[in-house]
Amino acid sequence: MSDLRPAAESSLIDRMNISQPDIERRLKYVAFAGDDAKRVASLADVILPAVDELTASFFDFLAPFDEAAGIVKNRATAETARRSKAEHLRAMVKGEYGVPYVEERLRLGMLYAKAGLDPRVFMGAFHHLMHEIGSRVMTRHRDAPSEGFERFSSLKKLGFFDIGLIVDVIIFERERTIRLQQDAIRELSTPVLQVRDRLLILPIIGVIDTQRARQLTEGLLRAIRTYRAKVAVLDITGVPIVDSKVANHLVQTVMAARLMGAVTIVTGLSAEVAQALVTLGADLGKLNTVGDLQGGLEEAERLLGYKVLRSQTDTPAPAERHDVAQRTK
Amino acid sequence: MMQVPILKQGDFLIASVQAALTDADLIALRDDLADRAGRFRSRGVVVDVTALDVVDSFATRMLRGIAQTMKLRGADTVVVGIQPEVAFSMVQLGLTLEGAETALDLEEGLTLLAERIKRNAAGPG
Repeated sequence: MSDLRPAAESSLIDRMNISQPDIERRLKYVAFAGDDAKRVASLADVILPAVDELTASFFDFLAPFDEAAGIVKNRATAETARRSKAEHLRAMVKGEYGVPYVEERLRLGMLYAKAGLDPRVFMGAFHHLMHEIGSRVMTRHRDAPSEGFERFSSLKKLGFFDIGLIVDVIIFERERTIRLQQDAIRELSTPVLQVRDRLLILPIIGVIDTQRARQLTEGLLRAIRTYRAKVAVLDITGVPIVDSKVANHLVQTVMAARLMGAVTIVTGLSAEVAQALVTLGADLGKLNTVGDLQGGLEEAERLLGYKVLRSQTDTPAPAERHDVAQRTK
Repeated sequence: MMQVPILKQGDFLIASVQAALTDADLIALRDDLADRAGRFRSRGVVVDVTALDVVDSFATRMLRGIAQTMKLRGADTVVVGIQPEVAFSMVQLGLTLEGAETALDLEEGLTLLAERIKRNAAGPG
């Protein structure tokens, strides 16, 4: 639900659930430890004088690709991206890779994601950037190539750490749409409607998960008390997936309603769902099920002692007409 | 020690739980009900737990025990007044109170018992 809030309210690092231990673990993934930070910092005199040049080469690499148009063509975005990238290069050799560093990386990643930068193109450009840095490092350490290689290796670990973060943001942003839609389905309120005295219906539409099952049960229990209901019909025609977990939730709802003295009838289990549940071996012995909502309502009316009669009108009911026809014969 | 008042109302006994009960109180309630059900030749017992905001596994077991004891003494038991929150947490704990009837409140419980007795009287035997 926090995803529904505008970005300003909570920082990206919180929304993506990245904590200090996470950062440490991510550094461990790329085996960034010990002297790595020191070795990267020692590259400051290679990288810092070339920051602008390196930044330019990164964006020049992106320029020809349509997939990167969003970031290169829009002047304002391009300007911000360039500044962040330059900032990134400076931060890399600073030796501090904690929350502020990660936050900056995520912010840049979000900029890429918003501009629709394809991760594959980004990878290419990032590799190009590393290559540019690498060749500069090698030139500088011509006399001690193995030392240069060690230092560059440490920088590359950090590079991969950054890629991990940035790709995560791009994916996170892409999945946001999906999450928003899922939330919308989940947030669809589950109305509890009284159709007759002491008879409730709950038409359930959308996915049932633990959270929603809880809301559903609480809503039903409260309504049972408010309306003094004796029978509730739970219609699950609109539930796309009914697996053993959902069935379990339903059983719990039914049991809770029973504790308050109400009988629950579950309707709308389609043929496929019924077969699937039988195959799964879900224990539905405790559920009172009826094929469709109509049948459920009829059963509920029977339990409550209602009898629905067609009112006397001018047009006789089909059965009566049949009677008349027989009699005249 | 918290004595649960037991009221006699025609053929029925009404045990109205006023506050959280200790395990000993519950056992006393069971014995008390068993004793009176025999003395008054009661046909039904209503246990009203409206005031309870926690019903744990022991209480559930005792309520079931009461229902079974009463059955042997010839009376039906209805537990009434379980609050929505209580019902929810009971189900979460897997306590379903099988073996005892339930109803929304005292009035419902009494109606249920009256109907049952009528049905039993109308039925064969």
